Amino acid sequence: MLKRFPIIFSTLVNIVLWHGTSAWACSVCFGGAGDDAIDGYNASVLFLMATPYLVVGTIIGGLIFTYRRAIKRREQAEAAEPVVQLAWDQEESGR
Amino acid sequence: MARSSAARKFDHAPSIDAARRPGFGGGKPPPPVRPTTPIGSNAWLGMVMLLGAEAMFFAGLIGAFLVFRLGSAVWPPPFQPRLPTGITAINTFILITSAVTMRVGLRANQRGESTGLIRWLSWTASLGVIFLTIQGFEWVRLIHFGLTVSSSVYGGLFYTIIGFHALHVFGALIWLMVVWLKTRYGAITKQNYVGLQICAMYWVFVVALWPALYGLVYLY
Repeated sequence: MLKRFPIIFSTLVNIVLWHGTSAWACSVCFGGAGDDAIDGYNASVLFLMATPYLVVGTIIGGLIFTYRRAIKRREQAEAAEPVVQLAWDQEESGR
Repeated sequence: MARSSAARKFDHAPSIDAARRPGFGGGKPPPPVRPTTPIGSNAWLGMVMLLGAEAMFFAGLIGAFLVFRLGSAVWPPPFQPRLPTGITAINTFILITSAVTMRVGLRANQRGESTGLIRWLSWTASLGVIFLTIQGFEWVRLIHFGLTVSSSVYGGLFYTIIGFHALHVFGALIWLMVVWLKTRYGAITKQNYVGLQICAMYWVFVVALWPALYGLVYLY
């Protein structure tokens, strides 16, 4: 494989330099400007690009909302019933 | 008699004032202990992740639909049966009502009313069954009129997207029936409600998904 590397490399370079249009990187490059299929793919790509942000943003927003609501409920519960302090007598610990 | 090392430590004990410094255990009292229970259960968090994955799954299907829908000059394609938008609108209302009954059932459980929860779960399951039954009847009619998975891209897209949603509703229905049985036999209570909570989350997800799919596949 290593011995054939120069041949393979020079073949690839020749393809790119002299036959670039025959070896497009994008396997779905087709059509011209204004083609309906292009519009369809563009819309689909934009939608799928935005969806992860929407999903993750919704999840994170839900988590933040739930966290804040839980803190608020906890504070309300503590206001109704104060948390019992640790049984640590300061004078006693100073012996 | 020689004293022990522990006893000798108190020979040069610090004074009381020194002992009251924070390093020696004195100083300000510690902050009050707060409960460390998590905000949501692990099952709840897991369900959130599952719903995110399901949302991405349906986003992929919707993306495929958009490619063909916007890539066609004429939609629906000619010589294809038209979808039953009217009866499906009623079906949509039925499914949305099932989400409302599920929510009412959750509230009943929060009040500790297990009989109320069972009643509202029964209503939710019944509405889900009605939804799937109407969907099935409509599909049989569409197949009779020539719209099948292999008849055209239109048919393939329709049955794939709507079919996967129906499959999710069916799975949610099975889960709902299990939750109903668990409630009936006392496994789900006001204190032990995580199973009910995550089932309700999944049900509301499949219900909330349907109007988007209806609008896209049936109306757009």
